[in-house]
Amino acid sequence: MANKFDIDPDLVRKLSELLNETGLSEIEYESTGRRIRVARQMSGAPLVAVGGAAAAAAPASNAAPQTGDTADTPAPRKGTPILSPMVGTVFSSPEPGAEPFIRVGDTITEGQTVMLIEAMKTYNPVRATISGKVTQILVGDSTPVEFGEELLLVE
Amino acid sequence: MFEKVLIANRGEIALRIHRACKEMGISTVAVHSTADADAMHVRLADESVCLGPPDAKQSYLNIPAIVSAATITGADAVHPGYGFLSEEASFASILEEHGFTFIGPSADHIALMGDKVAAKKAVEENGVPVVPGSAGAIETASEARSIADAIGYPVLIKAAGGGGGRGMQIVRSADEVEAAYKMARTEAKASFRNDTVYMEKFLEKPRHIEVQVFADGQGGAVHLGERDCSLQRRHQKVLEEARSPALNDEQREKIGKIAADAVRRIGYANAGTIEFLFEDGEFYFIEMNTRLQVEHPVTEMITGIDMVREQIRVASGAPLSFKQEDITFQGHAIECRITAEHPETFIPSPGLVTDYHPPGGLSVRVDSGLYAGYTIPPYYDSLVAKLIVHGRDRTECLMRLRRSLEEYVIGGIETTIPLHAKIIENSDFINGDYDIHWLERFVAGEIPDD
Repeated sequence: MANKFDIDPDLVRKLSELLNETGLSEIEYESTGRRIRVARQMSGAPLVAVGGAAAAAAPASNAAPQTGDTADTPAPRKGTPILSPMVGTVFSSPEPGAEPFIRVGDTITEGQTVMLIEAMKTYNPVRATISGKVTQILVGDSTPVEFGEELLLVE
Repeated sequence: MFEKVLIANRGEIALRIHRACKEMGISTVAVHSTADADAMHVRLADESVCLGPPDAKQSYLNIPAIVSAATITGADAVHPGYGFLSEEASFASILEEHGFTFIGPSADHIALMGDKVAAKKAVEENGVPVVPGSAGAIETASEARSIADAIGYPVLIKAAGGGGGRGMQIVRSADEVEAAYKMARTEAKASFRNDTVYMEKFLEKPRHIEVQVFADGQGGAVHLGERDCSLQRRHQKVLEEARSPALNDEQREKIGKIAADAVRRIGYANAGTIEFLFEDGEFYFIEMNTRLQVEHPVTEMITGIDMVREQIRVASGAPLSFKQEDITFQGHAIECRITAEHPETFIPSPGLVTDYHPPGGLSVRVDSGLYAGYTIPPYYDSLVAKLIVHGRDRTECLMRLRRSLEEYVIGGIETTIPLHAKIIENSDFINGDYDIHWLERFVAGEIPDD
């Protein structure tokens, strides 16, 4: 988890073109710890998923709250993630019973508070690192999160 | 007994703690920085929580993050390992305040032994021999001068907030005292945020001999024998052995009993080590470490006692599993600390481990988180493996150690395996004839080859 993957745009372009030229529905490319999969959606535009390849199989899989291997993500992900800056428990609303800070479809601006993370009885605001439209909220109210965990997607 | 323990450390000791927990049926939580996401103990632990970026202050020293991780995983207890927060009294008390058990002694005892002046006074009051020195902190340069004159040169000016060999100035004559005193206070303030200094007689060629103690805070207290840790480079231990080749049984039993009695008297609980300098047949207390130590395996090998298991048991409220008369010492054990450094220049060598084959066989133990394909991060200390070997006597132990070092493969990085192989061939070492300066002289080429 949390492996930085410098995306090579030429590679992505090349793979997408290959997909179109050959009429294949999916290409997966892997090399030392990096894996990229380009697949054709029903609509015809290739979709790209990237992930760090799992290292040699670990005997026990790590359970929550760690994020799972991204190559397993089934639904198409749209947008850039905003990551958790700390360890704690997510609070979606400013207070219990209040409206949540954000909903899918909302437009947010950089610096805006999108949720709270509680640790040791103090509530810390999570501020948006980018502006845009919320496409997916990945953690629910009272979810425990770790540093670097993806909280929501914005495009 | 605890159901879930959070391991607040990394590297080989985190794996060690994980192993003890699993053998007791306890679930483990591995907390780690982003740089350690692929560490072996993180992969093996039942749960893991990423604390923060590689910098230790934001991860392994980040108390709020660790307490938070314990909260969200529902851990019962936290084992701090060694280094990092293991001797930070506030960490122990914050954990207790939040309802977690800190696996170690009380915050008060951690604080007491962390203050080197107070520690010396406390142990002296409880029968432990100490290095002749100032009664307490030294307030002025002229006080330093008169105390030094009384002790007799050479003397050592030490930082009360220091330890582990840091913050010390040697003074060899009266005219050096004032300058050394001022420098010591300045450096102490910079390094430890505490400029209190004290003074001790400087011993020229001592050995470093430490006694492992264990107590339960309920009247049970034992010693588990001594370890000779004289082989050091820049105040870092490189190789340790039990038992010390410099002591006879009478000396061993005497100092062991003194150490056990002292911790019983102060009501200490859990594991601890009392460190001495030993010269001309006399023991001199230098400090007490209120935690598990790196070299604990040599004691485990000669006593057959799982010390981490015992730490967890005592922390859960149980009395010690053994009395002094239950403890027997078998044979001899040696530990080589293997670091990711060049064996001659000591230039750090983090990076990808391409091949890994640890030695095995009877009485050969390797404590390490290394595996083929693992990348050693550059952000932390360079200890990557401990090779611990046991034999029925010191000779057999040395033969086995030589064989094990020859067999050990760690490819892709530099390690100090060749240094250890050289050390154990030297006749001084084979004869057990070394002091705390020996290794530095050996590394500098000043010990003649045989």
